[in-house]
Amino acid sequence: MLTSEQSIVEFKAGRAIPDRLTRSIHRHYTEYAEKMLYVYRNGIGQQRRRLHRQIQSLFADEPDCPVRRIQAFCKLLDDKSTFQSDPEGKAAKLRLQVFAEAGRFHPLVKQTDRLFEHDEKRIKAQLADKLSLTWDQIEQSLYSDVIAFQRLKQFEGLLNASALLSRYNVAQLQACLYRAESMTVIANDDLKTILRYAKLARLLHEIVRLGPAKYRIVFSGPASVLRETRRYGVNLAKFLPALLACKGWKMTASVKTPWKQPAKLILSEKDGFTSHLPSPDEFDSALEESFAKKFGPKRKGWRLIREGEILHEHQKTFVPDFTFRHEDGVQVLLEIVGFWTPEYLAHRRETLQQFRHHNILIAVPEKSLREGATVGKNVLAYKTALRLTPLMEALERIRAENATTAGSNL
Amino acid sequence: MKSNKQISLSFDRGTLLLTNVVRKELPDIVASSVWRWDSRVGAWRCDAIHYAAIRKALVERFGAHFSDNVMEPACISWPKVDLPRLRPEQTKALAAWKQADSRGQIIMPTGTGKTEVALAAMARTKTATLVVAPVRDLMYQWHRRILQAFDYDAGIVGDSLANIKPITVTTYDSAYIHMAKMGAGFGLLVFDEEHHLPGKCRREAAILSTAAMRLGLTATPQRSDGLHKDLDWLIGPVVYDMPFKQAEGSMLANFDVVRIPVALNDNEQATYDQCSRVIRHFITSRRKEQSGYSWQDLCKESGKEPQARNAQKAYYLKQSIENRAAEKLRVLEDVFRLHKGQQILVFAGSNIMAIDVSRHFLVPTILSHTRKRERLAVLDGFAKSKFEVLVANRVLDEGIDVPEAKVAVIIGGQGSTRQAKQRLGRVLRKSGNARATLYEVVCENTKEVQRSRKRRKSDAYERTIHRGV
Repeated sequence: MLTSEQSIVEFKAGRAIPDRLTRSIHRHYTEYAEKMLYVYRNGIGQQRRRLHRQIQSLFADEPDCPVRRIQAFCKLLDDKSTFQSDPEGKAAKLRLQVFAEAGRFHPLVKQTDRLFEHDEKRIKAQLADKLSLTWDQIEQSLYSDVIAFQRLKQFEGLLNASALLSRYNVAQLQACLYRAESMTVIANDDLKTILRYAKLARLLHEIVRLGPAKYRIVFSGPASVLRETRRYGVNLAKFLPALLACKGWKMTASVKTPWKQPAKLILSEKDGFTSHLPSPDEFDSALEESFAKKFGPKRKGWRLIREGEILHEHQKTFVPDFTFRHEDGVQVLLEIVGFWTPEYLAHRRETLQQFRHHNILIAVPEKSLREGATVGKNVLAYKTALRLTPLMEALERIRAENATTAGSNL
Repeated sequence: MKSNKQISLSFDRGTLLLTNVVRKELPDIVASSVWRWDSRVGAWRCDAIHYAAIRKALVERFGAHFSDNVMEPACISWPKVDLPRLRPEQTKALAAWKQADSRGQIIMPTGTGKTEVALAAMARTKTATLVVAPVRDLMYQWHRRILQAFDYDAGIVGDSLANIKPITVTTYDSAYIHMAKMGAGFGLLVFDEEHHLPGKCRREAAILSTAAMRLGLTATPQRSDGLHKDLDWLIGPVVYDMPFKQAEGSMLANFDVVRIPVALNDNEQATYDQCSRVIRHFITSRRKEQSGYSWQDLCKESGKEPQARNAQKAYYLKQSIENRAAEKLRVLEDVFRLHKGQQILVFAGSNIMAIDVSRHFLVPTILSHTRKRERLAVLDGFAKSKFEVLVANRVLDEGIDVPEAKVAVIIGGQGSTRQAKQRLGRVLRKSGNARATLYEVVCENTKEVQRSRKRRKSDAYERTIHRGV
C-alpha cells in the first residue's frame, strides 16, 4: 500500500477521482512499466536512492507524470523487494569505532597550522590503515544502514508490466480510501465474501435489504457513530482488494477533501479494476455450481434460490449458499461448509442459536467431522458431493416439523 | 421505570458501550449528550474519554443493577524509587495538578525538570501509566528515565514494537494507531510536549482512552492553528504555568546568538540563480494569464506540465543548495577550532546534511533511525567528552536530554518560534557561569536569511550579535 504522501486524487464536482492509468490515455506506460521492472530486476546490489533516481530519470521527458506518481511506483517496487538491512548493526559498530578513533584528532582540518595539525585526508588514510580497509570502503559502509543507502538484495517482482500498472491503479484507490469515513456497498452476489473480508479488516457493518437478493451494507468502525473520523480509512483500504475480486457490486465511499469538503468515491464492478486476490472461494463455488445443476430449478415442490437472503442481527450474519422455498411457503437455508474446525463449529452454533427461528441446514464433509463430534439434526454430512436423496429427506423433515409447530401454536 | 436487566458498560475499541438502558435514563455528564444509539450493535455508544464521569453517574443511579465490564488499570507497586528531591517550583506544579483531580497541564520551560514532575506523579499515583512522546528518541529517553527511577523495564509501543505493559512508553503516532486496542489499560496518561496532541488525528490518543488521570507537559503550549484550546478537555486545564523569562538566568544560563552569513560558492551560486530564474520566469508567465497564481497552483499543475515540474524541481534544488552549501562545512571547521575542548551540538537541516558533516569531520550523529544502543553509546560518549561534537537533524529539537553543551550551531532548519525556543533550551542548560553561544550559519542572499530573522522574533533571541567572518 502507498503512503498518503503518494496519493493523487482529483476532486471535481463532489467526486473523488483517484489517479488511474488507462489503456487509452496511458498506453505508453506499459513501456515505462517494463523499464521500471528492468531497473529493479537488474538493480541487485544498488542503493535504494540510486534505484529511485533511475526510476525518476525514466520519466524525465514525460509530460504527463506528477512527482507523486513516480514516488508511488518506487514504493510499489520497494514493497516487492528485500533490501540489505544490517540487523546486527555492523554499520553502527563501525561508526562508533571510527568516530572514537577520530575523536582523538578532533578537529580534522583542511589547512593545518601550529594549533591544529590534524589534516583531514591524512587522518582518514591513517584510520583506514588501522582498520585494514581503504577509506572508500569505510565511507561506503559507514552509513549503509540508512534507508536511502540500503542495497537491493532481492526483487520478488511482479508478473509483468500490466500487473504493475494494475497494482498502481488499485493502490491509488486504496490511498484515496485513507481519507474515507465510511463505505456503502450495494451487492447482490458474493455477499459472503464481502462480509467475511470486511470482518477480517475489522469493520462494522449495517445491512439493509433493498429487494430480492439485493442489500445495502454500510461499513465503518466503532467510533463512526460518534463523530466523523478517518480512523477506519486504512481498514477500508485493506478491505478493497477483496471487494474488487467480487461480482455484482457498487460502492460509494464518503471522503473528505484536503479543504474539508465532503466528496464521494464511486466505484463498481464495471470499472474493471483488477484485484491481486483470486475470485471468491473457488472450491466452494465449484461445489455450489455442480449442486445447483444437479438440483435443477424445481424438484418435488421445492425451488432453489442462490444466495437469496442474508440473516443479520447486529454484527452476526448468516449468508446461506442456497435457499429452498417450498410451494407452501416453508423456507430452508443451506450452507455448504468445505472444512470444519472446533472454533468454526462453536462460532456456527452461536450464530444458529441467534437465528433459531429460521430453518437452517449445514452440509459438512464427512472427513472433516472429528471423532466424537455430535451431528445435530440440522447438520448434513456428505462424502465428496452433496447428494440429493438425504437433502430431500431433510427438507421434508423440516417441513413436517414446521407444520407441527404451527399446529401446536394454534 | 427501571428494567430488571443488568445494565452493563464495556470498552469497545476506544469507545464505551452501554446496554439495557433507555434514552431518558442515560447519564449525561456534559451539557450536550455524549451518547449515540448504535443500531449496528444494539447499544449506546460514547467516547472512552468520558469513562470516569460516566462510571460515577451510573453507580449513583443504578447501584447493584450496574455492572462495569471495563478493564481496571493495573495497580503498580514501586519497591525501589530513585528520584531526586523536587525543587520548590516542581513541588508546586505537582501539588497544583493533584489539586485539579489529577487532570491538567503543567507549563515549564525546557530544562526546568518536567520529566521529574511526571515521574513523581507516577510514583504517587501507582497506577498503570502510558507516556506519550513526540518522537522515538524521546520515547526511548522516557524508557531510560523510568528504568533509572523505578528499576522498571517499561513496555514500548512504536519503532515497529508493540509491547504493552502496565507502564508503557509510546509516540503520538503510535498512540493514535494503538489506542483503540490499549485504551482501557491505563489509569494515567502523560503527554510529553503536549502541543502535539490536539491535531485532528493525534487527539484520538486522548479521546479513545478511559484513563481518569491525565498530565500534559510542555514549554510551549501555543499552536498557530489555535487548537491548543482543546487541551482543556483532552487533558485538563492549565494548572501551572512558569513563563520563559522567569526561567532564564535562574536555572538557565545566559547566552549569545551569533549569526554567521556564508556565501554560496561560484558553482552553487550559479545553479542557485539559474533555479531562481526558472521559477521566476515560470511564475511571471503564468501570472500574466492568472493574476493570483500561487505555489499551490504550480504544484497542482506539475503533473501535467513539465515546465511546472521543472520549476518545482528548481525550488527543491535551491533548498538543498542552501542546506548543503560547502561553505557551511568550512565555517563549522572554524567553530570547531574556536571551541576546541568544548562540547558542541550541530543541528543540520536534513539527514543528508547531518551525514555530510559526520563523514567530513568523523563525528557521531543522532538521526531519527538511530537505534537504541547506538544512541546510548553516542550520548554517553558525548557526556564523557569522548566525542566533542554531536550532529543531529531536527530530531533533537525537543526535550531530549543532551548532556551539557555550551555551544550549538544551527546550519539549517525551519523558522518556527517554537523550534527556536526548544533548540535554545538545549544549549542553555546551566553549568558553571560560562555563557552559552548559539551560532546560526545562514546563506546570504537566500531565503535562509529571512528564516533567521523570523527566528529572532522570539523573545528568546534578544541579544543578537552579527558577526562576519
